[in-house]
Amino acid sequence: MNLRWYHFALWALFILVMALIPELVSKGTLRIIIFANFLAIFAISWDVLSGRTGYISFGHPFLIGIGAYTSAILTKRFDVPIEYAIPAAVLMTMVGGIIVFLPALRIKGSYFALVTLAFMELIYQLVQVVRPDLTGGTRGMSGIETLTRGAVNGYYLSASLMVVVALSMWLLMRTQLGTALSAIGMNEESVRGSGLSTTRLKLFAFLTSAFVAGLGGAFYVHYLGSIAPRALFDINFLFTIIVAALIGGASTIIGPVIGAFFLTFLLEYLRPYLPGAERYFIYGMIALVLYMYEPKGLIQLFSNAWNSLFSRRESAGNQNSDQAGKQSDAL
Amino acid sequence: MKTALEIENLVKRFGGLVATDNLSFHIEQGQSVGLIGPNGAGKTTVFAQIMGEHLQTSGTIRLYGKDIGSDSTPERIRKGVSRTYQVPRPFTDMTVLENIRVGQMPNSIWQMIKSKPQYEKEVELALSVGFSKTDLHKPPGELSMGDLRKLEMARTIATGSSVMLLDEVFAGLTVAEIAQIGALIQQMHKDGMTFLIVSHDLKALEPLVDSVIAINYGAKIAEGNFNDVMDNDNVRSSYLGAA
Ligand SMILES: Nc1ncnc2c1ncn2[C@@H]1O[C@H](COP(=O)(O)OP(=O)(O)O)[C@@H](O)[C@H]1O
Ligand SMILES: [Mg+2]
Repeated sequence: MNLRWYHFALWALFILVMALIPELVSKGTLRIIIFANFLAIFAISWDVLSGRTGYISFGHPFLIGIGAYTSAILTKRFDVPIEYAIPAAVLMTMVGGIIVFLPALRIKGSYFALVTLAFMELIYQLVQVVRPDLTGGTRGMSGIETLTRGAVNGYYLSASLMVVVALSMWLLMRTQLGTALSAIGMNEESVRGSGLSTTRLKLFAFLTSAFVAGLGGAFYVHYLGSIAPRALFDINFLFTIIVAALIGGASTIIGPVIGAFFLTFLLEYLRPYLPGAERYFIYGMIALVLYMYEPKGLIQLFSNAWNSLFSRRESAGNQNSDQAGKQSDAL
Repeated sequence: MKTALEIENLVKRFGGLVATDNLSFHIEQGQSVGLIGPNGAGKTTVFAQIMGEHLQTSGTIRLYGKDIGSDSTPERIRKGVSRTYQVPRPFTDMTVLENIRVGQMPNSIWQMIKSKPQYEKEVELALSVGFSKTDLHKPPGELSMGDLRKLEMARTIATGSSVMLLDEVFAGLTVAEIAQIGALIQQMHKDGMTFLIVSHDLKALEPLVDSVIAINYGAKIAEGNFNDVMDNDNVRSSYLGAA
């Protein structure tokens, strides 16, 4: 796995900062950061699948929705304890992941993206029409059991979940599995030509992505205590997830976390000037400019700065390492 | 001696075009065989069928006596046959070593997670196909055509297969690179690897093969040792006709 001292240092620093944030910021800011934590989880989920394999999912709100609705319905309508409802929701989301996976057996590129977009639209229609007594129909649900009270507790819950998800996905993607999934994104035929079953790899990526999406969705609904289909199955929500992963730095895990925080605060700061959906236009422009300037994302900008600080040391230390060419691994 | 690869009555039709025409041949284990024929004769199509990238219209493909004709490409590779491509297809955002790593990986997700990359073996393989130490961390974008072919060879060897199909290995290579790759193939042949080699460069092919199969319009027109096949009238006219 090739862990280095600065990996431990950076993760320790990251966890320390996350732990201290409630001492440093106002309650209002804390609530914004809670959203950033959940967005980061969703962006990591997207990144594990789309950032790696190149199968661009427009269906993540579909997956997140399955997680959120399953847990909400189980706890509210059937009085299932939350500690059973959440695992059940994650399992259901993984079933959803398999459904999204099926078209990936046959189609690639923009067609795949469009098919997954159809899943999002489909579930939006379904929750409104099928058994609105369970789903709450167009209005959604409220009064869902919450796991925490107050911003500080909500913050710690979301931050812990985000850190655990980020760290475990980061470790997982540093193994040969991560290399194989990235290889699919570069040339799927060559991966098959190297003797690896891409079907199995893709299925694993879809299931892992769904696992994270379901986990995030279920916890999110038990943080909010309510669910609004119009906001969940919304194209702006979808693009916020994707843009967070892309401008942060796809295929890096930490990139999407950085991207999620950057986007959340950008949207918040734009809110007083642009209260409506025009905000999304502005952030789209900013994201585009950033993306054109550095396609590997914000993480690459940080990584470049880091490398210029430590360059002499690193070039000596990297001689015997295969990581020399991939400086983005520094973070 | 055991038969490594056995092709029987292989037919491939692309619509009206017969790309492989009732082709049969077999290769003994440890043998090196050349597959020659003019442009469009159907050599690459034969490779594609052996690897399961194209499904044959009819006919049988056996590897070590077992029918592999309905296996997936990765399954065939795991059973011991792999190929290189006329146009190299590297992983563009990976280093030379990482490219080789993909070929070397176990085909089990659990093993991929659990086992570490075999760094020394990757380096050894890269050096054995003729990479210099300074190339190991370069991305394919910085490599020459010759280096890309070496990379293709190394990744194919890394899969651990015992039968290798090489498609136009010498295309776009310098004289020095041809000598280097040629020496590598000879060494591997000596060590027991079975080869089926397609090459336009017949002079470079000659020292690498025990025998040659010539095809034209997908059908076999001659088979035997290199000089006999070269002297065959059908072979001569097929090359002249294409030129
Ligand atoms: N996928 C395909 N669809 C239709 N025709 C093909 C396809 N692949 C190859 N062919 C045709 O089959 C014939 C043999 O091609 P190929 O095997 O590439 O020849 P070679 O490798 O000997 O130059 C050619 O006429 C080619 O145009
Ligand atoms: Mg060819």
